[in-house]
Amino acid sequence: MASSTWWSSEDLWRKFAIWVTAIMFLVLIILTFDSVSEIKSGTDRVPPYSVINQRIDYTFDETRNRMAPIIGSEAPLFGAALTTEQAEELVTKGKLTIQAKNCINCHTLLGNGSYYAPDLTKAWLDPAWGSEAIREQLMIGFLMNPSANARTFGSGRKMPNLGITEEEAKGIVAFLKWMSAIDTNGFPHNFQPMKQGG
Amino acid sequence: MTAIAGKLDSKILNGGQKLAVKYFMVAIVLFVAQVAFGLIAGLQYIFPSLFYEMLDFNVNRMVHINAMVVWMLYGFIGAVYWLVEDESGREVVGLKLGNIAFYVLTAAVTVVVIVYLFVQTGPGTHKTLWLINEGREYIEAPRWADIGIVVVILVFFYNISMTFMKGRWSGISGVLVLDLVALAGIYLCGMFFTTNVSIDQYWWWWVIHLWVEATWEVLVGCIMAWGLMKTLGARRKIVTTWLYIEVGLMFGSGILGLGHHYFWIGTPEYWLSIGGFFSALEPIPLVAMVVHAVYDSGVHRFKSTNHPALAWLIAHAFGNFFGAGVWGFMHTLPQINLYTHGTQWSASHGHLAFFGAYATINIAFFYLAMQKWRGNVWMSAGLADNGWKWKWSLGLLNTGVVGMTIALLIAGYEQSFIERAMGGSTWQAYFEGQMHPWYIQAMQWRVVFGIVTVLGVVLLVWDLLTIGRKEARTAAVLESPDTKESFKPSSTGAAAGASAG
Amino acid sequence: MLSPVDLDNFFLAFFSAALVILMGAAYALFFTLAKLNGRRLFMVTAYLSYGLLAVSVLLLAEALNLRGYWHIIVWLMLAGYLLAPHGIWHLCCGTHVAAHETANAGDNGRIPAKTEV
Repeated sequence: MASSTWWSSEDLWRKFAIWVTAIMFLVLIILTFDSVSEIKSGTDRVPPYSVINQRIDYTFDETRNRMAPIIGSEAPLFGAALTTEQAEELVTKGKLTIQAKNCINCHTLLGNGSYYAPDLTKAWLDPAWGSEAIREQLMIGFLMNPSANARTFGSGRKMPNLGITEEEAKGIVAFLKWMSAIDTNGFPHNFQPMKQGG
Repeated sequence: MTAIAGKLDSKILNGGQKLAVKYFMVAIVLFVAQVAFGLIAGLQYIFPSLFYEMLDFNVNRMVHINAMVVWMLYGFIGAVYWLVEDESGREVVGLKLGNIAFYVLTAAVTVVVIVYLFVQTGPGTHKTLWLINEGREYIEAPRWADIGIVVVILVFFYNISMTFMKGRWSGISGVLVLDLVALAGIYLCGMFFTTNVSIDQYWWWWVIHLWVEATWEVLVGCIMAWGLMKTLGARRKIVTTWLYIEVGLMFGSGILGLGHHYFWIGTPEYWLSIGGFFSALEPIPLVAMVVHAVYDSGVHRFKSTNHPALAWLIAHAFGNFFGAGVWGFMHTLPQINLYTHGTQWSASHGHLAFFGAYATINIAFFYLAMQKWRGNVWMSAGLADNGWKWKWSLGLLNTGVVGMTIALLIAGYEQSFIERAMGGSTWQAYFEGQMHPWYIQAMQWRVVFGIVTVLGVVLLVWDLLTIGRKEARTAAVLESPDTKESFKPSSTGAAAGASAG
Repeated sequence: MLSPVDLDNFFLAFFSAALVILMGAAYALFFTLAKLNGRRLFMVTAYLSYGLLAVSVLLLAEALNLRGYWHIIVWLMLAGYLLAPHGIWHLCCGTHVAAHETANAGDNGRIPAKTEV
């Protein structure tokens, strides 16, 4: 009888550790190639930046048994249709501003971030903005002077003034509109968007 | 340090250990900063006008989580420098460079924090991301600091790998060096800007998840393995075999466990299944540890030569099990995570898991270091003043963190129910959730327990500065046969541990 | 495809998930104790814990609407938590025996001058 069993030998478990790690990592790399190609902007899951020229909605999809965004007819942001490049430039300005102003340490984006302020995933569609007609102006006004225009819903929690310029505010709104069109596998569930269109 | 330096004997430390204690000291300062800014952020939930437009929640929260990440890294780096000479059998290669890297890193961290506090934010340009704040949770450090961090980590990697190369390799040092490669490589995934928020978060999770739930765990595994050999006389062959088993289980479940962060960020639906499947596997290594811990304590009657370190290792075992295991699994499957994602549930889980898995182990190591630094003093039963300071700080810190965790659990339950499940996550629903009495009371209790935590930290610092100060006895000697035979018994003459994992 | 938890099952979902892990640990704990000191009571307690674990897994499956291929996770948990402590126990015995034998042979865990990694 062998002095130590093969299945308890140091050598076997070293190989086990190396192989398991290598295989799992390889699988992750393969999945990453696939996932990244599926979430490039301009795909079904993550629409092109020029989607801000269209109406975005969010409804329950019976076949997939979950909520999903719907990209509708022409509805240019701030009343002017943008080219693909212009749209990307504007959304990029918004993303840069969202990082530069450290938004994620109060808010969540796609549910990731901090929990001191509401999630921004579907902020563009939130019924709190009233109606389509006034939404853009309300959003710009709020972002540029949140302490004066804040609605705290009785909580007393107000966004501080962060010195956001009009150009930056427009970028943020464009970014939020684009983000609301990302297919997030049904997150958030049961969300009732603002009534849009007619 | 200077005030009590006369009492400390640095000559007893080897070169790596002299550098290690510098890392430990900064780690403790950052630990204090972490809880201080956490307390302010917690208070702002109750008093929203506190420091409004002066030191807003986002700034406090950023310093809170950044200080945590950095103090834990300082603790790990220190622990590796502490053990490297002993494990490799030679002096640290390029120690002078290592010392310079320490001062560069510490200066950079100081500048970053000053900019966070006094500049806070900038215009929406690339320049802001390079100089002020990158605005991505946990890795907010501006790009210049990212590059600095990578350089310092490379110096650290050079010190450690060259020391083993010129000295001797072992299973533990092999795992350690490979893990450091992964640790540094993964950080690079967080150093770019993209407009596409889905791609941004995809790579961001590589850094956050693969650090916290993979490479950090293995790093702690290496440190523990060395500690168990040195302090309990555990046999190298057993410890190494179990380190391999642990690496296999951790990486086997943890690497694709990344999938549980890819449910809702735009990534394909197959991640729901992969994330769910591997999340269900992730607690199994924890259950394995229970068996091994009980086996070890039953087969070997370990004696503890460092009671505080032993107590913190026991806190580690429980904290890791509950924080990562129970709290993690409660909200990880996508059918429930659809509602708990982005609520105080994550905060509840995060507090207990980070504390249990990493803070505890670092604190245990601080006690080992202090024991040696004081001249290998006695730290078993019958300490001066009955050891009330370490006992009370242990009790206060654990009570504080567990209390905060439970308060946040109640808040998270209420929030996911009212805001997410019932209200459909509109802003109206968000604030209804925030205004509910359960939530408000939970936030008040969180601050109460936050204060308990702060008191625990204050007492901990006081204890670390004073423990063993008037101790004349030397550390208890282990009588396990193989500590004497297999290694020079010089290193830490002491310590303890619950079990291997 | 997944069906999110129903509002009525909200508490059950968290509670049963927590019980799965807690009972998994209790089972592992008592199983090992029973193996170590041979007390029957410990082994009975261990399998009672496993019984509770199995019930919790089924309740969790019910609460989370784990249907279709999600059943795989249910079976995996039932089998994994049952077998893991057995496997780890054998590994504990095996690794310790192996180490003691090499120790007796004079190696005693000392690091060789140059070891492969």
